[in-house]
Amino acid sequence: MGIVEVRDLSYSYPNAKTPALKGLDLTIERGEFVLLTGPSGCGKTTFCRCLNGLIPHFYNGDLEGEITVAGLSIRENPTHRLAQRVGLIFQNPDNQIFALTVEKDVAFGLENLGIEKRKMLERIDWALEMVGISHLRDRATHELSGGQKQRLAIASILAMRPEVLILDEPTSFLDPLGAERIFRVLDSLNKEHGITIILIEHRLDLASQHADRVVVFSDGRVVNNGSPEDVFSLEETRLEGVGIPKIIQLYKRLRDRGVPLDRPPLSPDSLVRELERMIPRTRPSGPIRKAAHDLDEFTGEHRASPVIEVEGVSFTYPSGVQALDGVSLTIHRGEFVAIMGENGAGKTTLAKHFNGLLRPQAGRVSLDGSDISGLSVATLARKVGLVFQNPDDQLFSESVEEEISFALRNFGFQMDVIEKRVDWALNLLDIERYRKSSPFVLSGGERKRVALASVLAWDPEVVVLDEPTIGQDYAQKEKLRHFLMQLRTQGKTTVIVTHDVEFVADCKPRVVLMAGGRIVADGPIKEIMTDDEALKLASVSPPEITKVFSRLSSYGLPRDVLDVDEAAELLVRLREAGP
Amino acid sequence: MSILEGLRFSRGDSPLHRLDPRVKFIATLVIFAAAVIFMDLVPLLFIFIVQIPLIFLGRIQREWAKSLKGGLFLALIIFATNLASFYFFQGRSLNSGNVEMALSLTVRFIALITSFSLFFLTTSPDKLSLALDKARIPFEFNFAFITAIRFVPVLADEAQSIMDAQRSRGLELDKGNLLTRIRKYIPILLPLIINSIRRSLELAEAMESRAFGATRNRTNLYELKMTGGDIAALTVSLLALMACVYVRFFLPPLGPVLPPMEIL
Repeated sequence: MGIVEVRDLSYSYPNAKTPALKGLDLTIERGEFVLLTGPSGCGKTTFCRCLNGLIPHFYNGDLEGEITVAGLSIRENPTHRLAQRVGLIFQNPDNQIFALTVEKDVAFGLENLGIEKRKMLERIDWALEMVGISHLRDRATHELSGGQKQRLAIASILAMRPEVLILDEPTSFLDPLGAERIFRVLDSLNKEHGITIILIEHRLDLASQHADRVVVFSDGRVVNNGSPEDVFSLEETRLEGVGIPKIIQLYKRLRDRGVPLDRPPLSPDSLVRELERMIPRTRPSGPIRKAAHDLDEFTGEHRASPVIEVEGVSFTYPSGVQALDGVSLTIHRGEFVAIMGENGAGKTTLAKHFNGLLRPQAGRVSLDGSDISGLSVATLARKVGLVFQNPDDQLFSESVEEEISFALRNFGFQMDVIEKRVDWALNLLDIERYRKSSPFVLSGGERKRVALASVLAWDPEVVVLDEPTIGQDYAQKEKLRHFLMQLRTQGKTTVIVTHDVEFVADCKPRVVLMAGGRIVADGPIKEIMTDDEALKLASVSPPEITKVFSRLSSYGLPRDVLDVDEAAELLVRLREAGP
Repeated sequence: MSILEGLRFSRGDSPLHRLDPRVKFIATLVIFAAAVIFMDLVPLLFIFIVQIPLIFLGRIQREWAKSLKGGLFLALIIFATNLASFYFFQGRSLNSGNVEMALSLTVRFIALITSFSLFFLTTSPDKLSLALDKARIPFEFNFAFITAIRFVPVLADEAQSIMDAQRSRGLELDKGNLLTRIRKYIPILLPLIINSIRRSLELAEAMESRAFGATRNRTNLYELKMTGGDIAALTVSLLALMACVYVRFFLPPLGPVLPPMEIL
């Protein structure tokens, strides 16, 4: 019998029209590392809530079927008893930390269980050691970075010694480096300590390397279940709207074109090994690459007229954190720019200078050639539209329509113009059917689109998007990317602030890398993604495909390959050119 | 509210930080009682001055200065309203005794701010909660108190994000008359409230997942133990209270410091 046994599980939330889970069967064996994925709203989170008894003990509703976890039936055991066998870790670290110091937070669960002090201290030591934050033991919890907070959340659950660890999109708010650290912690808990791990993730490129098994959910059911290699190779998985890891996409492309590769690889390393076996190490005579035809060459014509000019700007928060340290950056009309770097590198602080939310303490910011220091945020916002990370920080109206017209009314547009603009924005973002709905009943991805529409409605010259891909699944990201491409072809100046390197690789913008409040590199994406030194400084790791090509330069292949199409083309050509 | 700034605990290590929170609470109550029972300038000044070495002992001078600065405006109001009320109730006249009285009340206020600062600045909420626990306050209340403190910085960040987002959509908070200005806070308050409700649900889920309420016999990582120093501090506090009561009620009053004269 598996450690998790789910038989014919169906569940509907109270007052819900359709069930969230519809006849689900799943067995997970002790010691497995299972990656659970599927489009937003497919029932992943609901499923997690069932596994530690939040459903049915905390949430009412109709539950059918049987679940046993570590030998306990979830129906018959209260959540606090289940909590000692199954640990559940949530997306937002801030909402699962209770104490003011790290040590005390790890103790919280143990105190609730009435464990004596000596044993408590032992377990705290162990749990902090496991996630690698022993050195933070006496720190205040609100001083920690997002990644550290999430590791603390894991430690706090670990201290209760669960046999199964469930993590519901734990890396959504983290930068790639923070995410990798979490995955490494999970890997060692699984491999070295035999803890069963169930990980829900959209970041499949990184996560799939650690998993033994992938389970794909769709519409409240398990639609695919097997080894990562098999599941990701299946065409249905892609059709479910799951983002297939880039390496497997490349593998499939090569196999389709007659390159006889063995098993699908999960990491750049294994693909490189496979390729080295396949292709004799001889340098082909001619150049492999054809003339490049990149988008950024077409956009080069815009480089003449600057829109936003930032000169030597420094900014220190009242808390004493210096967020910007002499930043200079010029963004030209019609350009598409991605500002990248770790959390805390100063990306958002810089973006807030574009519309005057923050004012430089040194240096100056100009818009359309004139200094902005005398202008109000409202005046500047007319030209520079800023869309923030979390749509819930701005939605407040009774209907989507009203939400979108809010800014237009603030800017004093005429009634008939407002109506036209709202129609236009609703169509642009494909949310016309929600016109009269309350923004609060929409899904996360839809709310994000409403927020975007509410800014685009006044047609600002420059659009700045702060972390647009956070918490978005593959299909939503694709939609966003198409939309950005559309803006780009219309010649709209677009800036995205992000740490999503695969998304950036797909968009191919100009990349500005930031680290420690400074710009460490700035240029076309192909240049930046092969600049090892700058990437290291900014703690950005290159896209998976680029990682592969950085290892293949001995074949005379270029390093600056970003996408699957180009990669497949080059490799096939190399094979044909070889002896 | 910079006066509250001086009440926010900052981590530190000093004899005052290490003092048992219960003893510290009693000591603060003693200062409070002393400041309330005395009416005259000299003893009130004495109560204020006695606390200054303690401020330095706790190394909280800077935070204390901040709360004094925040309280300065209120102190001025206290002084001015007292003077004004004497002036008008005495039939438009003012003597030196009135000035001394107004001054005493102001010094009393400053002495009270200082005593609160001493307590809150050197007592971590964790320890405070422990003291509440020892006082048999139900854990649910205690937990609510700690959670409220824990989420102050989180909520402040969130309010800032919301303000930024709405200002970026052309909301101008500082324009229009009072009524329109108040209405302009709706786009800020609504998301804040809705996010808080959403957050409380997530918190409840996380609490359940950490076995909240599993047993009545909850343990605590930290324990309060009275040391010799704590007992000494407690003794000093109680002796001081007795001394105050004796001086105030069994000795003849000191009388005014300023020579009696008409000012207005």
